[in-house]
Amino acid sequence: MRLLIVDDSSIMRRIIEKNLKDYDIEIIGTAPDGQKALEIVKEKKPDVITLDITMPGMDGLACLDEIMVIHPQAKVMIITALSDKLTGLKALDKGARGFLYKPVNAGDLANAFDRLLKRNENE
Amino acid sequence: MKTSKAEFDATCSLFINSVNNYFRHLTEVDSELNVPYIKQSEGLVLKDYTGMIGISGNRKGFVYISADRDMYEDLIKIFIGIDDPSDEDILDMAGEISNVVAGNVRANLGANFMISVPVVFQGMPSQLKIPNDVSIYVIPIVWNNHEAYVVIGLQ
Repeated sequence: MRLLIVDDSSIMRRIIEKNLKDYDIEIIGTAPDGQKALEIVKEKKPDVITLDITMPGMDGLACLDEIMVIHPQAKVMIITALSDKLTGLKALDKGARGFLYKPVNAGDLANAFDRLLKRNENE
Repeated sequence: MKTSKAEFDATCSLFINSVNNYFRHLTEVDSELNVPYIKQSEGLVLKDYTGMIGISGNRKGFVYISADRDMYEDLIKIFIGIDDPSDEDILDMAGEISNVVAGNVRANLGANFMISVPVVFQGMPSQLKIPNDVSIYVIPIVWNNHEAYVVIGLQ
């Protein structure tokens, strides 16, 4: 499974990377904003994308709209601090497969990826 | 629209809970709250590195978290195992904490409590101007023996 990590925080990108190292996942890229993320999506077509929402320039929800047009098979997991229900529902409505509220620790990431990968096996 | 005192106090409580949750959930070490106060005088309460979030929508103002380098170093060590983070890493960490603390408040205040991307800085930037009509509430906290300030300014 090939993963793209999108978050404007480099610390956060490295936290995700570190905590997923035991999974059978190849990290094919990281991006600090929506625009850069779309370039990588077009070029490398990742299977899974972790996507922050609050980012400079193109935010995560706008980026998600574009991803669903250019690579709708991608499984997008939103990882955001915006913990209101409306934002979560909006993201799921736009095509996100999972939603995780920051702060995320190793256990949160493991549970979320276990669920995502299990669903993937069943599809 | 000016925020009433009751609204202001309630919003501050949400930020206090959000900060506590951040440290407890990620480090399993609770933050301790010192006595909060309303800032009356000119100037801002700042430590070495600060992450600031602008607030718009239903409420207008800002929130920032400011701490010395040691605190961010400890967090980075816990999160990614780096012993000697760069200045860029420290500023990134300052921005990410403020982003998470402010974003989590939306669980209670909803999507109309809009937050900006973090603005991060070291020391006291000369261009930083705080509007006069903002009430400023300072919440001193201690996490892992490091003192930090959570500062909330709301119109």
